[in-house]
Amino acid sequence: MKTFANSNARDFQQAVALVQQTRQQGRAASLVGGGSDLLGLVKERIVNPDVLVNLKTIRGLDQVRPSNGGVNIGGLITLDTLSRNDVIRRQYSVLAEAAETVATPQIRNVGTLAGNVCQRPWCWYFRNGFPCYKNGGNTCFSFGGENQFHAIFGGGPSYIVHPSDTAVALLALDAKFRIVGPSGERVLPAAEFFALPQQNPARENVLAADEALAEVQIPALRAGTRSTYHKIMDREAWTHAVVSAAMVLEMDKQVCRSARVVLGGVAPIPWRLPKVEQMLSGERITEALAAKAAEAALEGAKPLAKNAYKVPLTKGVVRRTLVELAARG
Amino acid sequence: MKPLGKNGRKKLEKVHIRLRVNGEETEVAFAPHKTLLEVLREDLRLTGTKHGCELGECGCCAVLVDGRPVLSCLALGVAMEGHEITTVEGMAVGTELHPLQQTFAELGAAQCGYCTPGILLTAKALLETNSRPSRDEIKEALAGNLCRCTGYIKILEAVELAAARMAGGQAEPAKETIYGWE
Amino acid sequence: MAGNNGGKRGLRVVGKPFVKVDAKAKCIGELKYADDLFLPRMLHTKLLRSTVPHARIISIDVSKAKAYPGVHAALTGADLPPITYGALPVSEDEYPLAIGKVRMVGDPVAAIAAVDEDVATEALDLIDVQYEPLPVVTSIQDAYSMPEPRIHEYGELGNIHRRQVYEFGSVEAGFAEADHVREDITFYEGSTHLALEQHASLAQFSHDGKLTLWTSTQDMHYLHRHLAKVLEMPASHIRVIATPNGGGFGGKCDPFNHEIVVCKLAMVTGRPVKICLTREEVFYCHRGRHPVLMSTKTGYKKDGSITAMHHRTILDGGAYGGHGVASTFYTGILQPTTYTLPNYRFEAVRVFTNKAPCGPKRGHGTPQPRWAQEIQMDKIADHLGLDPAEIRKQHAIAPNSITANWIRIGTLSLRQCIDKVVAGSGWKDKFRKLPHGKGIGIACSAYMTGTQTPIYYNKLPHSGVQLKLDRSGGVCVFCGSAEIGQGSDSILAYIVAEVLGIDPFDIRVVTGDTDLTPVDLGSYSSRVTLMTGNAAIEAAERVRHMLREAVSAKLEVPGERLSFADRRVFDSQNPDKGVSFVDAVCLAEEKYGTLGTTGSYKPPAAPGKYKGSTIGPSPAFSCTAAIAEVEVHPETGIVVVPRVWIAHDIGQAINPVLAVGQIEGCVYMGLGEALMEEMTYRGNRNLVHKFPSFLEYKSPTTLEMCDVITYLVEEPDANGPFGAKEVGQGPQLPVPPAIANAIYDAVGVRVDEIPLTPDKVLKAIRAKAKGQEGRYGPSVFPTCPMPPAMVVPTPFQGGDGKALEREPAVSKK
Repeated sequence: MKTFANSNARDFQQAVALVQQTRQQGRAASLVGGGSDLLGLVKERIVNPDVLVNLKTIRGLDQVRPSNGGVNIGGLITLDTLSRNDVIRRQYSVLAEAAETVATPQIRNVGTLAGNVCQRPWCWYFRNGFPCYKNGGNTCFSFGGENQFHAIFGGGPSYIVHPSDTAVALLALDAKFRIVGPSGERVLPAAEFFALPQQNPARENVLAADEALAEVQIPALRAGTRSTYHKIMDREAWTHAVVSAAMVLEMDKQVCRSARVVLGGVAPIPWRLPKVEQMLSGERITEALAAKAAEAALEGAKPLAKNAYKVPLTKGVVRRTLVELAARG
Repeated sequence: MKPLGKNGRKKLEKVHIRLRVNGEETEVAFAPHKTLLEVLREDLRLTGTKHGCELGECGCCAVLVDGRPVLSCLALGVAMEGHEITTVEGMAVGTELHPLQQTFAELGAAQCGYCTPGILLTAKALLETNSRPSRDEIKEALAGNLCRCTGYIKILEAVELAAARMAGGQAEPAKETIYGWE
Repeated sequence: MAGNNGGKRGLRVVGKPFVKVDAKAKCIGELKYADDLFLPRMLHTKLLRSTVPHARIISIDVSKAKAYPGVHAALTGADLPPITYGALPVSEDEYPLAIGKVRMVGDPVAAIAAVDEDVATEALDLIDVQYEPLPVVTSIQDAYSMPEPRIHEYGELGNIHRRQVYEFGSVEAGFAEADHVREDITFYEGSTHLALEQHASLAQFSHDGKLTLWTSTQDMHYLHRHLAKVLEMPASHIRVIATPNGGGFGGKCDPFNHEIVVCKLAMVTGRPVKICLTREEVFYCHRGRHPVLMSTKTGYKKDGSITAMHHRTILDGGAYGGHGVASTFYTGILQPTTYTLPNYRFEAVRVFTNKAPCGPKRGHGTPQPRWAQEIQMDKIADHLGLDPAEIRKQHAIAPNSITANWIRIGTLSLRQCIDKVVAGSGWKDKFRKLPHGKGIGIACSAYMTGTQTPIYYNKLPHSGVQLKLDRSGGVCVFCGSAEIGQGSDSILAYIVAEVLGIDPFDIRVVTGDTDLTPVDLGSYSSRVTLMTGNAAIEAAERVRHMLREAVSAKLEVPGERLSFADRRVFDSQNPDKGVSFVDAVCLAEEKYGTLGTTGSYKPPAAPGKYKGSTIGPSPAFSCTAAIAEVEVHPETGIVVVPRVWIAHDIGQAINPVLAVGQIEGCVYMGLGEALMEEMTYRGNRNLVHKFPSFLEYKSPTTLEMCDVITYLVEEPDANGPFGAKEVGQGPQLPVPPAIANAIYDAVGVRVDEIPLTPDKVLKAIRAKAKGQEGRYGPSVFPTCPMPPAMVVPTPFQGGDGKALEREPAVSKK
């Protein structure tokens, strides 16, 4: 592995300041939490830091705390702790379910929420060092190549799919992200955090190189809200979503008052379906409506040469998840 | 070109840290980019911890950090100060094997033996939080450990047998486990 | 009890579930694999590998790398003698480091030895290689249509490496006799071994001029010969130690470039040199399952009996020969060993492509043709309205017979195996009776227990065992076999313990060391238990005879009355009268001097006498029947396999728990190949693997693995040690076709192509829903000019095992 120095951060302010300083010296710095994603990237020489700024030494940002009826979750919480947290399991089950589908038990013991949300794509061209958009080049090899697992929505010029499960759940929960940078903090709604390739083909979000995702804030949910995460994989464990769906439904008996529906594994960002949400709100969720919603979910789908199978799969996932969640009562 | 030390790479100061491995304090100095896997194998010569990919994709290198299984290839050695590390060499007590080691040996759950250390430690962590796991719970816990020899079945049976024995029983393996079905 | 035949036969060790001799060392992390070895002053090696699939090398400049601090040596092909090597004598086409051209992404071009891996990796970046790209051969179709540029300067035609055509009996006459004839075109995708241990090697060159190599190899003996050849050293000055393999499955059978390179680097630097390949590099080593396209035309009668088969295969061999010529034979030559087949024509072609070379993976060349025949049998049964289990049972090959292609079959309890799984699975209540989406399918196989012929021509023993006993009572077994996790070390201990009446724990086993142990050909072709076992029996019986004589004299009891059991030698008519085993050894040492015996094994001659007849014959054939249950999701095409019933005729289980473990492992590997594993390449980018990682090359986890109900069928074979036959490979063969046949039972579609991924299943389901043929699979079988067949009259025709015509001319290297 490439050599680098290690620097333990006391708090986020100091961490981002260290990154900024290192960069000003003309050297590369990377923030590292659990390290599961970053160390893989360093070993594959996709990322080449001179200094690693270790965030795990920061205290207190690995917990779930109540706040204004909602919760604030420290970005350094491990996925395992998050998925076992009582409040999250009870009130925000979509997030607990998403967290427990990530990778493997060993990785969930180390991998953090912030790290999962900011994880780099798992496109095989990117990870194998091809000079694609994500590696600083100006082409996407998947477009005319092996694109079995690539985007059917929102692609171009890069066709990666966003790899995070928790990101899909957080967008469905209308979460906000507290971001720390050298000049201070900013809070962004999840919807504004993720960036399509049209906006910036090199990155998947709006974080600057010297910014860090410190905390996730989830608003209170109205009574009667239920949520779930459904992930289809090509193996039962240890792989990314081929298609996934996060759904948060505010229900009044059988009637849906409002809905948030977000897909994973199909687009370069968590892919929200506003039209489907509108179709559902104020309606009884029946098999027929679910089928209609599933059809509407496909609007704008543009499969590539080898991933057309994702279209019927998406339809099936939306329909089934909706029906099952509505029936949960 | 970057300035280089006499051993080639850009001169970097080694970190000198105190690690607690298998219940023993040890001091070790290593380059800050070394993974826990490398520190264990190369600096402490605890080669019982194996590697199959060094990218977090096979589970061979799993060790326990504060009792929880983690992949040592994706953990930095410098991050381990103050944590209790357990490797496969730390499972037996004196000359007495851990019940999992005993049942793995008995049932042939270690064929080539290469995935065995990571699986033993992951199973140990499971049994410490869930003393009588169901077959499905064992599968879930071991879903991150690939094995190419056994088809996992003898491994699952060995974990169940160890759990039964740790619960105080004189458990013996099922006849079918040993001889096949009638 | 099944699997416990040993006890019934009065055996004390054989047939009992003794713990493996190395099990505890594995469970406490004590066992040293190759990469666990460290020597003082050891250097580390990294290889610079080609980034292009096919190119001429214009220049290589290692000067900057050589000057890099911490680097001790840099090698290119020019630093080694221009001598080729390769697994088979007919295709020695590899250089340790490329000379002149590269033939695949991953071909090694240069090597660095440095103080550590990081420095070596950094130095690789300083090597400058200029390539002149050549057109790339990506597939069977390319190889057929692009004779130029040739990947190799040898082979039969352009990029066609090898063609084989045999006709046993007359398929024309057989088809004429048939009530029906059908042809099926099927494909079996390539897959890789994915052993968890990455290949590693450590070489040391001592100042007295001797070389030692510790390496993760299955076939130490063959490697030894190649090292001597390429390094131009007497083999007697080279010591190869096969470290315990962290899994093999055939992937560590070939001699590898990195093994030769570390030896050369140790010789150049005077320091120990180690290499451990990265996982990506292991994918480049490959030597895995050949992708094979097959056409199987079969004539059959109303009762399901087969009158003739014309079976054609095309193998995508990748960039090198390796074991490929043998693999090519195996895609056809064992086809007649499962069901009665009076007339058989076999045509096989292996092509070169610019991809990682294929070779022997568990079942070596036979899972593909077995797949083709077993899914066809299911179609035949369906067409005739017969039960596919019954049709197999009725036409299972007879034990103690000779096949159309002159392979002698010994014991073979296939019918009994079928009965076991049919009864156990409740087949009769389930077949064609389960609800839509659920299904059940059956398939069978037979497999060899070692090959009759070694890889290079010789008349020497295939396996040798030495025993050393001394006055301590200690028994040490020396054998050149390589422990790859299958338990071969333990088998030696069990067998010697059985013969000498002691406990396996009393025995020390030393294996896999060319200086210390007699030659064994290696861990391949399911040969080890049978061949080392027979050699061990011979050595142990010889020393038992010495002990018997010595004790007989002492006790004044006739030798034939003496029994060896419970660590004693005693009068079987008066068991109290006897001596301890230790005393018996002392008496023998007193009588004969230092005690040591040897045993060796060579397979019996096969009845075939035509050119090529040496490939296929085996001392004994195992057989297997498997039934798989599946659930197919009609909307997504996702296939789940909850359960497999499998019965295997093992002859005699030397250790039942290890035998059951081998069968479960076979089911697992068959399941992986059936459902998800595929060695595929990025078509648009230089033929780089699509999956050079564990994450992208999907293999089953605990969550995909099915339940396995295993039945051991034990009918001892006269050629096996205590009657034992193989168990490590054969049970994998019927698993993929059983699953495919179950999919048909579940949703009525045929997927004639491995792996059975959801997209293929779904396409077949959709085609069927549209009223088209409910099938997914290849429909075109490309052809190339073929030489005339070697025609061999069958035993049923009164043949004498010889061919009618001379072997067709084959271009020589």
